[in-house]
Amino acid sequence: MAIHEDAILKSELRWAAVVAVIVAIILIAILYAAIAMHVNPPSNREYVDPKTLHLSAEFTEANLGTRVDPNGQIVARVIATQFEFVPNCIVLPAKKDVTIRLTTPDVIHGILVTGTNVNTMIVPGYVAQVHTQFTKTGDLLMPCHEFCGLGHSQMMATVRVVPPEQFRPNADGRVSCGNRS
Amino acid sequence: MAKAPRKRPLKPRDESPAGAPPEQAAIDRPWRIGAAAIVAAGLAAGALIGFVIIPAGQKENAHLSMGHAMARSAGLEAGSPAVPQPVSTATAIPVSTVSWDPAIMNVLASGNTARGAAIAAQTCAACHGDKGLSQSFGPGPVFPSLAGQSPYAIYKQLHDFRSGARVNPQMTAVSQMLQVQDLAAVAAYYSAASKEYAAIGARELLGDAEIEKLANEGDSHRRLPACLACHVNNSGGPIETPVITGQIEAYLVTQLNAFAGGTRTNDVYGRMRDVSKKLTPAERAALARYFQGTL
Amino acid sequence: MPAARRRRAGATAGLQTSRLVTAHIWVAIAAFAVACLLGVWQMWARSPLTAPYHTAANYFRSVTLHGVSMAFVLTTFFIMGFGYYVAETALKRPLPGLGLAWGAFWLGIVGTLMAALSVISGDASVLYTFYPPLTATPWFYIGLVLVVVASWIWCLIMIFAMRWWRADNPGKPVPLVMFASVANAVMWLWTTLGVAAELLFQVIPAAFGWNGMVDVGLSRTLFSWTLHAIVYFWLFPSYIAFYTMFPRAAGGRLYSDTMGRLAFILFLLYSLPVGLHHLMMDPEHSNGFKFLQVFLTALVSVPTLLTIFTITASAEIAGRMRGGKGLFGWIGALPWDRPMVLATGLAFFMLFWGGGGGLINMSYGMNAMVHNTSWVTAHFHLIFGGTVVIMYQAICYSIWPSLTGRNFADQRPLRVQLWLWFIGMMVMTLPWHWLGLQGQWRRVAAFDYSNPLIHSWGPWVIVSLVGGIVLAFSALLFVYNLAMLHRRGIAGAPAAIEYAQAVHPPERVPSSLNGFGLWNILVALLMLLAYGWPIAQFFVYPPPQAVVHRLG
Repeated sequence: MAIHEDAILKSELRWAAVVAVIVAIILIAILYAAIAMHVNPPSNREYVDPKTLHLSAEFTEANLGTRVDPNGQIVARVIATQFEFVPNCIVLPAKKDVTIRLTTPDVIHGILVTGTNVNTMIVPGYVAQVHTQFTKTGDLLMPCHEFCGLGHSQMMATVRVVPPEQFRPNADGRVSCGNRS
Repeated sequence: MAKAPRKRPLKPRDESPAGAPPEQAAIDRPWRIGAAAIVAAGLAAGALIGFVIIPAGQKENAHLSMGHAMARSAGLEAGSPAVPQPVSTATAIPVSTVSWDPAIMNVLASGNTARGAAIAAQTCAACHGDKGLSQSFGPGPVFPSLAGQSPYAIYKQLHDFRSGARVNPQMTAVSQMLQVQDLAAVAAYYSAASKEYAAIGARELLGDAEIEKLANEGDSHRRLPACLACHVNNSGGPIETPVITGQIEAYLVTQLNAFAGGTRTNDVYGRMRDVSKKLTPAERAALARYFQGTL
Repeated sequence: MPAARRRRAGATAGLQTSRLVTAHIWVAIAAFAVACLLGVWQMWARSPLTAPYHTAANYFRSVTLHGVSMAFVLTTFFIMGFGYYVAETALKRPLPGLGLAWGAFWLGIVGTLMAALSVISGDASVLYTFYPPLTATPWFYIGLVLVVVASWIWCLIMIFAMRWWRADNPGKPVPLVMFASVANAVMWLWTTLGVAAELLFQVIPAAFGWNGMVDVGLSRTLFSWTLHAIVYFWLFPSYIAFYTMFPRAAGGRLYSDTMGRLAFILFLLYSLPVGLHHLMMDPEHSNGFKFLQVFLTALVSVPTLLTIFTITASAEIAGRMRGGKGLFGWIGALPWDRPMVLATGLAFFMLFWGGGGGLINMSYGMNAMVHNTSWVTAHFHLIFGGTVVIMYQAICYSIWPSLTGRNFADQRPLRVQLWLWFIGMMVMTLPWHWLGLQGQWRRVAAFDYSNPLIHSWGPWVIVSLVGGIVLAFSALLFVYNLAMLHRRGIAGAPAAIEYAQAVHPPERVPSSLNGFGLWNILVALLMLLAYGWPIAQFFVYPPPQAVVHRLG
């Protein structure tokens, strides 16, 4: 072989520099999305006891669904349980900041909303929280995307995104799929 | 090939550079220092971006002080950095007050006890049959079988009768006579009892292909999970779901109709109300018939 | 049966480990074949077509068996078998602890059978990632622990085989192929710590009913410790083949021995402190630690990119030695009719797609678009099938003659098999990527095809099913090819393969490139900083626990 050892070393070092540039570009793209576009994973180390969820406070049955909180924030509270979401359909307005808060009394679940970047795991013991803005209106699918038991395949909810003017909370600040005008 | 290896030293030679021939140790020094420096630099860069630059860069969007933003990104404080935590002020009456604390679960797991057997013989056997095998096959009042039932299911229903979450004049009275620990003891007693269904007749498997499909596969279109995804022992489903295989048909259909009609509401988060509403009355009847015949 | 005995005796004439290696790899292949067939049925069940035996319970039983067979049985047994082969052929002396190795083999068999029977009985349909609070029968986990313990014995045998050789050959560089195999053993010991802690302290007690509650965040974190590095454990033999078998098969030399050592060291360092990127969508970890591990994940692409350069350069040397001219002429001059060369080319092509998908998965923000969609399934099938399995197949074709003493009479069925595997893998996974971007979620037994969005996925699901059928056919052809060599091959194969030589074979290397002492310290440092607080937080601020849900 006629290639000199130093030539090999040099070519490898040149390539290593190219690799460094490739990796740097990837990291810069990630950093740009994180800082300029404010993209974050849905981290939320907020504890809630899965054993007593239904007894009091935020995630009792009557508190679930979409509600405009007194401070004007639009929040949908959803329980993911084997093997359905409660409520099974949530209404949210398009083009407004909305928050979806989910938790589970039983096992690990997860959600995505088709056609959007809404995606989170739902881990017992924690409130999973996603902040988003929907751009299109219509009925979107919100399936459970983590294996949660034998009925997992049928676990799915609907996210009904309505134009902002059709999003009309009642006196209590609530909006549900049933009372949509 | 392969000659037998020479006699091995009992303790293998240390692989640290010190044990290697001196010239190897000499060429190794830049490697050790360089590698450690590069790895440390990589770690420092990742930590700097993750714990400082990103939270700092996002600060004005996050309505947070720099200190809070950094504490959150380091996992020292709860919460996601974008929006403050919403607080709910609403309250509501729970449908069932049962919760699974370890003390009750230990009683349920402890199995058959003399206390449970005594209560069962005194209080339950008259209606629910000897050893929990109900004989409600003909017309007349309907009592469910309890033998081989999940202890969590029995305990939860008794507790709900006791608290008023589920209403039945007889059962409300009976359950209010008992202490919570007794409810658990009697639940454990029945869960340990054998089903012995083969002995009590009327156990034909009745169901067409559609009903079997609903029971085993569910119906994705209606978002109906398979019944058997939860309602057998150790299904991995919600802990309080009852076993329905071999249960009395008339009992099952009454309960499905009660859930669908909203006259029974002690299912946590309305799971069975929702499922029962999705089933047609004919399907409810057919499923009840089918499950009586399965084991 | 004297005839059979004689044949076996003949087969074992060359290598002392011949039967040991053959036994391991046949177990791996059996698991692989079963898993392939199950995989086809699963895709059929999920498609708009009507599949037999389709119930929720059967589907998840099948997915669990498929995952466990592929991820634990095929890989572990193959890697153990191949490792023993390397230890004997590279060091050119008998394997230490042959009896112990057989003990580990049978321990692994017992574990595999325990786990398999648990799954088949329906008591362990928890998928191979087994996240509590959903827990299977304890025998499933105990079976898997036994397989892991068997692999630990393998690790120790490999490590001591290298150390004793080095003690007898002071100052000499450990052959690259052995160095890489031991790097994998060292990495695997680190890797399995997470899952072992999860199983022993959390899952098995829960499965036995000794504790009714479990800290879910902690168990997910411990599993994530293992979850990424395990993929590199599977990938190591493929990279070993790239560096030490491909250049020779192509008729050339390895471009740089040092780069090979560095790549394997980088895998050891950076495949471990990155597991949190599997939990990017989880609430329980902070964004800072998620980013730190994303950053380190970006670094784990470095050894792969270095490998692509070194191996391409090695191929160019071979191509030019064979008379290839011009900028690209050397590519055509390579001996593509040789299975190892063909498989490496196809693997590089699939690695390009799989690696590209992986870069998107690991992106701090973009992950939300694809997490738990078919995109992820497509990604890891492309990596696993396209880089791991196809190279395992090529390795088998390379070492089988030395194990059986027979040469392949005809290489055509081998090439056909590899091409079918490649075509099937592309046809199956490209639609999955597309469906994942549409939002198709994973791990479901059935879709509601009456929904308009899901209905539009139907044709693509069927296309991927066709890919799966091609894969299953290729898998069966692979089994046939190897089985036939035992009886019909041409006698007279050499007793061991020779590994590729470097352009400049190293005469001496620094101690750091001849052992793992330094690198173990650095792994410990990386793990301490990347995983220290993420694990400690569960003890400093204990979260509420969840009720164990027993399945089986």
